[in-house]
Parts: sequence; C-alpha cells; structure tokens
Amino acid sequence: MNIDFSTALPYIPILIKAAGFTILLTLTSQFFGTVLGFFLALGRTSRPGWLRGAVWFYVWVFRGTPMLLHLFFIYYAAPSFGLTLDAIPAAIIAMSLSSCAYNCEIIRSGLQAVHHGQVEAARAVGMSYPRIIRRIVLPQAVRIVIPPYMSNFITHTKNSSLASVVTVPEIMLTAQTIANSTYRVIEILTLAGLLYLFLTSCLTWLQLWMERRTTYERRGLTARRRRQLGLEAA
Amino acid sequence: MAPPMIGVENLAKSFGAVRALDGVSLSVAPGEVVCVIGPSGSGKSTLLRCINFLEEPTEGVVRVGGRRVGFVETGAQVRRMGGRELAGLRADIGMVFQLFYLWPHLTALENVMLGLTEVRGLSTRAAADRAKTLMHKVGLADKMAAFPEHLSGGQRQRVAIARALAMEPKVMLFDEPTSALDPELVGEVLQVMEQVARDGMTMMVATHEMGFARRVADRVIFMDHGRIVESGPPDEIFDRPREERTQRFLDKILS
Repeated sequence: MNIDFSTALPYIPILIKAAGFTILLTLTSQFFGTVLGFFLALGRTSRPGWLRGAVWFYVWVFRGTPMLLHLFFIYYAAPSFGLTLDAIPAAIIAMSLSSCAYNCEIIRSGLQAVHHGQVEAARAVGMSYPRIIRRIVLPQAVRIVIPPYMSNFITHTKNSSLASVVTVPEIMLTAQTIANSTYRVIEILTLAGLLYLFLTSCLTWLQLWMERRTTYERRGLTARRRRQLGLEAA
Repeated sequence: MAPPMIGVENLAKSFGAVRALDGVSLSVAPGEVVCVIGPSGSGKSTLLRCINFLEEPTEGVVRVGGRRVGFVETGAQVRRMGGRELAGLRADIGMVFQLFYLWPHLTALENVMLGLTEVRGLSTRAAADRAKTLMHKVGLADKMAAFPEHLSGGQRQRVAIARALAMEPKVMLFDEPTSALDPELVGEVLQVMEQVARDGMTMMVATHEMGFARRVADRVIFMDHGRIVESGPPDEIFDRPREERTQRFLDKILS
C-alpha cells in the first residue's frame, strides 16, 4: 500500500469549497430547526390537547423515519405533487424538518426542567405568558439544553453528508468524486474526515464557550450590570 | 363598615373526586390580618390560591378590592378573563409561597426588580432603587448581589416577601411561609411579616405558627375538610374554642 498525500493536496481547495456547502446546509437547517423546534416545544407543553397531539404526531413521524428518506421525498417525490426544488433548497427543507423534530424534544426537556413553582411565582407577580417564557423559563432552559442541543448539532452536521444522495456537492459527494477519479481513496477520505473533525471541533468549542457564559452564579454580576443596578463593585 | 378588601362567597374547588374547598365564605376588611390554621389538606392553600386565581374555583365568587377575580362582569354577562387581564389583577395581589420560588438565574435584587420592569414598566434604574429600599426593609441590604442558591432559607423567604411587596399590592397572601424553614430561621421571616402587618397591609396567612397568629392576627380562621369550622379573634380561638374539632387540633399542635 502506498500512501501519497502529494497527489491529494491540489484537491484541498475543492474540498474546502465543498465544506462551504456542508456549512451552509448545516447552519441554515439547524437555524430553522431551532426556531421551529422552539415553537413546537411550546406547543408540546401547552394546554390545548389538540396542539399537544399535533406536535406529538409530527415528532413521531419525523423522528421515526430516516433523514435520508426525507431527503429523497422532498427531492424526488415532491415533483409528483407539482413541487420541483433544486438540490440545495430541497436539502435544507428536508434537514430542517428533521432537525426541528429533535430540537423540539431537546428544548422541551429544558422548558420542563424549570420548576413549575417558578412559573407560578411569575404569574403571581402579574407577568404574562410571553414574558414568563422570555425572562424566567428560557434563560434557565438554555443552560440545561446546551449539552444535548450541541450533541444533536454535531450529529446533524455529520448527517448533512446524506445530502450527497440528492446531488448537493458537499464534502462527502465531492470526496467520493475526487477519489473515483484519482484512485487516492485513503488520502481523500482522510482529508474529508479532517474537515468534518474541524467543523465539529468548532461546535465543541462553541459548547464550552456557551457553558462558561451561562455559569453566572459562580461568576456573579458583570461590572456593566452592576453599574446599571447602581451596585458598588464587589 | 368599609367594603371588604377580600370577599369570598360560597367558594368550592374540586380536584377530581376530592373536594378541597367545600363552600367557604369570608370577608377581610382593609388592613385586617387573618390567619388561616388547620391540618394539612384542610384547604388553606387552595383557599389562598383561589384568591389570586392560580387555582380556578369550581364554584363561588372571589373579589379583591371590589373586583371579581378571574371573570369580567358587564351587566348580567360574565366572561372569563384573558391572560392579560388576569396578569393585571394578579399584580395587585402579592403572594408568598412555602418553597419561596425565587428565580435562581437572577440575583436577589433582580428578583425583586423583575415585576417592576416587566409588569409595572419601570426603568431599570427606578426599579433598582425601589427594590433596594425593600431589600433594606427586609434586612438584606448586604445580599442584593447574591444569587438565591447562596442565601439561607430565611433570607430567600425575605427576598420573596420583598418581591411581592415591591409591586405595592392591595393584599398579601402568605401560603405557609415558614413551613419549609429550619426552626432557627422562622423568627426572622415572622418578624418581617409582623412589620408588614404593622404597616397596614391586608394579609391572609396560612400558617402553623400559633404564636404569630395570636400576636399578629386580628382574626383566626380554623379550617378542616375544606370548610371553615370556626373563626374569631385569636384569644377566643386559642383559649375558648367553641368547636371540639378546633380544640382537638390545637391540643395536637401545641402539645
């Protein structure tokens, strides 16, 4: 077996461009998946039974079927319903639908971890539901949710490789194409792996940073907040 | 006689098959301090929680400051309050819980401020100033920047009282405010509550602190099985109860 990275090196710019597509797919679908997932989680914890049931049904379907199937469905089956999409929009939609099912459950676990008594105390002070969510529930839920949310984010990043089956030229599809034409399978796959590792390392670092930022009790009030409140420095 | 600050007529609350309140009527005059005593499960908490509509009554009418709680009456029509109306009503009713329920992600001062900025619409600075006055009042001037987890139970409960008082409510409801505290911390909380009573606040206090009830209450209500068994001035209830059930309860709790 001869391993020769020198023949693979010229393909690095192409692979980096492919990583751009991976980032595009992952970030946009994670963004929509988070925003939608948040509202789904609110629905899942709300009072009306039909709403809770509808969200439950959605999660049941989209968490219970593979993302690969969602991708195929949106890209290959949707045209039969008169909806033809390019590969990238189709991949973003399919990945968002899948992502928000998982994020709904992750965010719900955070919302429900906030003790009901705290919500009651906020109601007793006269706060409305949106304010209670924003000021009492979310700030605490965020911290609880960071580890599972980021784990899912990392999984989601790697799963973006599935978009290769609907012809999005992301890292895996590009790597395969290069490998097929150069026969440098080991070298190209190693480079692809390193790119994924770099992307997920950024997320791991982001997680550490977010966890540090939310340990306010140990660090106390910031100097700026102290000034706002008119408290002397500690 | 002045119109009552709190009026309760024929209040009933069922949880499934359990009748937690079974036809309770009472009225509390402005500035009056009423202590509600009785065994656990007698309906004390449910009564208080119906007064600010944290619990929706099954039957009956509650009024606070003349205003119907939970419903809007226009002529003969009655409709349920929306979330915003209910929130506005609750802002005028202070409530202190057995388990404090401070918000752990905020400092003591911010706990007291939040209702002022979010509900009363005060600026951060104005809210901070009022909250500081209240932190002084409850004797916690040195704990303003502390997070709840760094406070003792007694200190937490005093912050919770300051949080409720900051809204300048018409009435204060205390739901067993000292029941979760270590015995040596009960005194500091009762002292603050006594001060609030002296300032003329209308108060309803569900409590097992018979000494406090005797000292501070204008009237004591004894409840059992969701009903008011008897009510009267503290010395009457404690020294010459008319009902045998009251006597039995007092014997048990004071022995």
